[in-house]
Amino acid sequence: MIDFVQNTIDGVMIGSSYALLALGFTLIFGVMRRLNLSYGPSIMIGAYLGTLVYVQLSAGPAVVIAATVIGAVLAGVYVERLCFAPMAAGAGIASMVSSFAIWMQLEQAAILVLPRHTYPFPPLATGAPLTLGPFLLRVDHLVTLGCAFALSAGVQLLLYRSRFGLALRAIINDPVAAHLVGINVRTAVMLAFALASAVGGIAGYLVLATDQQVTPMFGMWATFKGLIAMMIGGLGSIPGAIVGGLVLGIVEAQSQWYFGPQVRDLLAYVLLFACLVLRPGGLLGEPPARESALGRGSA
Amino acid sequence: MLDVANLVTAYGKIEALKGVTLQAERGRITCLLGPNGAGKTTLMMSIAGILQPQRGSIRLDGTDLTGLTPARIVAQGVALVPENRLVFPQMSVRENLLAGAYQRNDKVEIAADIERMYERFPRLRERREQLAGTLSGGEQQMLAVARALMSRPSVLLMDEPSLGLAPMVVAEIFRIVGELNRDGTTIFLVEQNAHMALQVAHHFYLMEQGRVTFSGTPGQLAEDEVIQRAYLGARRTN
Repeated sequence: MIDFVQNTIDGVMIGSSYALLALGFTLIFGVMRRLNLSYGPSIMIGAYLGTLVYVQLSAGPAVVIAATVIGAVLAGVYVERLCFAPMAAGAGIASMVSSFAIWMQLEQAAILVLPRHTYPFPPLATGAPLTLGPFLLRVDHLVTLGCAFALSAGVQLLLYRSRFGLALRAIINDPVAAHLVGINVRTAVMLAFALASAVGGIAGYLVLATDQQVTPMFGMWATFKGLIAMMIGGLGSIPGAIVGGLVLGIVEAQSQWYFGPQVRDLLAYVLLFACLVLRPGGLLGEPPARESALGRGSA
Repeated sequence: MLDVANLVTAYGKIEALKGVTLQAERGRITCLLGPNGAGKTTLMMSIAGILQPQRGSIRLDGTDLTGLTPARIVAQGVALVPENRLVFPQMSVRENLLAGAYQRNDKVEIAADIERMYERFPRLRERREQLAGTLSGGEQQMLAVARALMSRPSVLLMDEPSLGLAPMVVAEIFRIVGELNRDGTTIFLVEQNAHMALQVAHHFYLMEQGRVTFSGTPGQLAEDEVIQRAYLGARRTN
């Protein structure tokens, strides 16, 4: 029983980083109705900028966070300009496939430009974990959990309480009508990408500060985890991103403990499969009805 | 004056507008009638900047609107009430109106304008916190008109406001069109309901297969001929 509770705690902690990745993913999907497979790799570019200022300039955590976020935002906007802005409405497949190409481009660039494969990443918190009765809590995990809730609440507030949020929701509701009321849709979409990438950059920083190292494979990892968590929780749903991330984390932690790491990944995909069959729209999302997941775009 | 000259808009190689020339005079109601597929909606979407015309020009009092983004065109004082209304279904009535005022920054005046819309359309006040997607067709049409008015346009474009609505609601919409016009808004209206349109219009055009085929005032052409051409297209020659 103690094991089970400890696993659940660990799962929630790991899951909160998945939740953050899914939050950025879902923001892009919600606005564009298109999948950005390059989401993880753009975070990876940010992470390399973070490790660069850490290794070269011995920068402190604040500078490393800033560098990671700025790098992720720049790479995210690069992907948007290249794969999303030029594609016509209804060309969602073209966007997805080109974002896959840019994924490969960013990953290969990271492998070729950087002579060493693995770079150190500065830890967020060193020292012993907190104890709570028989249970252990890592400080950096707690920070990640706090960030997941704070950022999702922040994004929710932004969407429902600000002028920019009004524009984004209008675009999500009806891109043509959003144009007609005078919203500059292209700019708003680019800013949404930047925002999603910033959230992704923070997620990337928190994960890597826990791992204390970064490799070019981080991009793929981040895309997979974010995508799975988003799909479990519900495409385009912010609460869904949090729930999906936490559920994925808990299932992974339990299966890792009871069945080992190979079975862990297997079970994660079984969970995704079960979700897609039983609740195609995700746990908190609406079932897909009128539009295909790749079809609708902004006019 | 809204001045459209030799406008050509194509979908791929198919020209939906084959050189359209027409004017909507300031302070008047101008109607464009024509059968399905004549290119009426294409013209409206081209004026609003959603579709990019290949050739020709769109001017508003001499200012060239051709090729501007939809946001710029709204800033120039032209607002479109689109075909099928296109309200924001997952947003409340009030949020739809706020979105209509997106380019404005005068919070106090926006709130006052929302109040004015509620006075003009009392049903919208009753349903102000309801999601727009749950409104009836007529209510959605009112909301679409009110949303367009929130940008304080000098020219209001309306694309088939009577589409799919009950006769009483249609009459109500046309009453409002007349009212808006008396308050000084220039109106350019696309309609299939020729009977209603001819009652409010100062000037009307017939459009068939991407071309303007008649321009005149109501009464200049017998109503049954207008109706025949507006519904069925070109006059049968036999």
